[in-house]
Amino acid sequence: MKDSLEQLEIIQPLVMKRLKQALIKKRVSHAYLFEGLKGTGKKDVAKFFAKSLFCEQVIDGYKPCNQCIQCQRIESGNHPDVHVIEPDGASIKKDQILYLQQEFSKKGMESNHKFYMIVDADKMTGKAANSLLKFLEEPNAQTTAVLITERVQKILPTIYSRCQHVPFSPLPKKKLEQQLIEKGIKKEKAPLFAKLTNNIDEALSISEDDWFLQAEKIVLKLYEILSKQKLEDSLIYLHTTWNPHFKTREQLEKGLDLLLFIYEDLMFVQIGYEKELTYPDSLQLWRQGALQISKDLLLKKISFILEAKRRLQSNVNGTLLMEQLLINLQEGFTFV
Amino acid sequence: MKFYIKKERLIKSVQDALKAVAVRTTIPILVGIKFDADDRGVTVTGSDSDITIQSFIPKEEDGEELVEIVEPGSIVLQARFFSEVIKKLPELIVEITVEDQFKTIVRSGNAEYIILGLDAEEYPRLPIIEDGDHFSIPNDLLKSIIKQTVFAVSTSETRPILTGVHWMIEDSQLTAVATDSHRLAMKQATLQSEERNGKSHSIVIPGKSLNELLKVLDESNEPIQMTITNNQILFRAKNLLFFSRLLEGKYPDTSKLIPTDSKTIVKLNAKEYLEAVDRASLLAREGKTNVIKFTTMDDDMIEISSYSPEIGKVVENVKSISTEGEEIKISFNAKYMIDALRAIDGTEISIYFTGTMRPFIIRTDYDDSILQLLLPVRTF
Repeated sequence: MKDSLEQLEIIQPLVMKRLKQALIKKRVSHAYLFEGLKGTGKKDVAKFFAKSLFCEQVIDGYKPCNQCIQCQRIESGNHPDVHVIEPDGASIKKDQILYLQQEFSKKGMESNHKFYMIVDADKMTGKAANSLLKFLEEPNAQTTAVLITERVQKILPTIYSRCQHVPFSPLPKKKLEQQLIEKGIKKEKAPLFAKLTNNIDEALSISEDDWFLQAEKIVLKLYEILSKQKLEDSLIYLHTTWNPHFKTREQLEKGLDLLLFIYEDLMFVQIGYEKELTYPDSLQLWRQGALQISKDLLLKKISFILEAKRRLQSNVNGTLLMEQLLINLQEGFTFV
Repeated sequence: MKFYIKKERLIKSVQDALKAVAVRTTIPILVGIKFDADDRGVTVTGSDSDITIQSFIPKEEDGEELVEIVEPGSIVLQARFFSEVIKKLPELIVEITVEDQFKTIVRSGNAEYIILGLDAEEYPRLPIIEDGDHFSIPNDLLKSIIKQTVFAVSTSETRPILTGVHWMIEDSQLTAVATDSHRLAMKQATLQSEERNGKSHSIVIPGKSLNELLKVLDESNEPIQMTITNNQILFRAKNLLFFSRLLEGKYPDTSKLIPTDSKTIVKLNAKEYLEAVDRASLLAREGKTNVIKFTTMDDDMIEISSYSPEIGKVVENVKSISTEGEEIKISFNAKYMIDALRAIDGTEISIYFTGTMRPFIIRTDYDDSILQLLLPVRTF
């Protein structure tokens, strides 16, 4: 576990209090939906929860000992009655849910208690979600489910209504930035990392990632080219520099995020919120840019990027997606 | 941990345990086989979490030393790789030593492998079997109980409980029932219980596990011991333990499904009848339904026919040994009938009908412990 129990209690006081009460009073519900932004400790809390349920020597009624064989096996993913389902590629397939179903038609391997955790539950395909529904509805005795998601609005309403919701509050941005600066990250860079994740460790590892630093430069350069209003140049740039760098879907998603932050910054400059900038060191550039664009057009461009991000989740060709986005950003009207 | 072991026995035990190891598993430790060495011998365990096979190599057998334990201990080794390794070792004796950080040295003659093992503590715990509460059953009887019921389990996951065989044990009397809601197979047998505490059990064993068990049981005629725990059932043969997880849930009550009275009883030569059904099913199979028609005629004759609009028609008359009661015209699935007849395995069979739209049962006069029930198909 990355964070110790104490740390989790600091990061998510409300969540931990709730789960603690449920454990002490032995009123654990059959299904929980952990919702919250990336890096808010959802997975760690779920692991803590599993350990508390299985631990042989629970301290104070809820703290797992982290020493016994049950805790250790949950930590290493070897516990036969604890199942973790994670997306296989881009989505959680029906087969994976089928496996769960088969697993749950049988009695526990060691104990009568069973625990399953579905990471990125919003990535379940429609079929998978519907087959899950069936046994969310009719839980066997002593089964505990934890669904984890970053995008709660993408969860099927039928699933949503069958779980207890546990919202994970994000760490206040300013506080995270402060902590990052304390850890030795440059003041100008801190807002960007704080925006990308809510987890300090993850932010620190991103800050040391060469790929990411390169990506940031490429995105800023792309914006500069775009602002010169020459479509040919930006398309050439896309093929010569952007594509070789953003190869996978996850990378492309990060690139779009970075691009989005630029347009957000422009918006902030326009409405006078210059303290909120993600890239404070490019303030001059944003001031220039903000003067050249109307608020409506800016909003439109932001929505183009958001649309591109959404499409990225379905089966699209990355290059075509980017070409379309660039044309849209350049012209300011919808192409195709 | 350190021990010396006869290669031949090790290969056999690893092969046995390997049958339970799945190729794909979600629990990483299960790609391995667990070795436990203690003062009695070496235990080899493989599992895919549904079934677990344990093979035991005693220190001595028939006065021959098989294992020499230098230092007891446990280790988990990558199953497929390890089984390949030991098959190719040059000498008859294998030395296995576990050092720090689960580093395992396998030595035989001049060949030496260093294999990275896994922590045996991480391996799933098997239920602790207490002595006493067990039943014993002859090997061949257990096999026939399984063979005569397991084919009828459901293959669809919509009702998971039906993918298993229901075993009821009361006063040492075992009743095994399997059904997929179109047909039902039932077999009764008497078990020898060493301790008659009168406990009754009602468990559902996954069909898949029973099929695996059939493959593992050898030809010997030694009795198999059976122990039932909360979550698992254990079959114990000589030096071999087979654990299976049980299915969760309540099995539907099947006793009311079996009709007690009958209006028509047809007695047939099993072989002739099976062949006729088989021939008719050739045509029935081509049509999607696989339905054949069974009609009683005069002079104890039975007509078996199938009609498929696109392909054609088949009619065959079979002489029955005796036909009693009302005339009947009934349709049913040919495959189910063939399965049932094969399971009964007698020279003469009797079919008890209670009407065109009611389930009918197939039994044999020689063995009243087995019963097969089929649901007819509605045809127009």
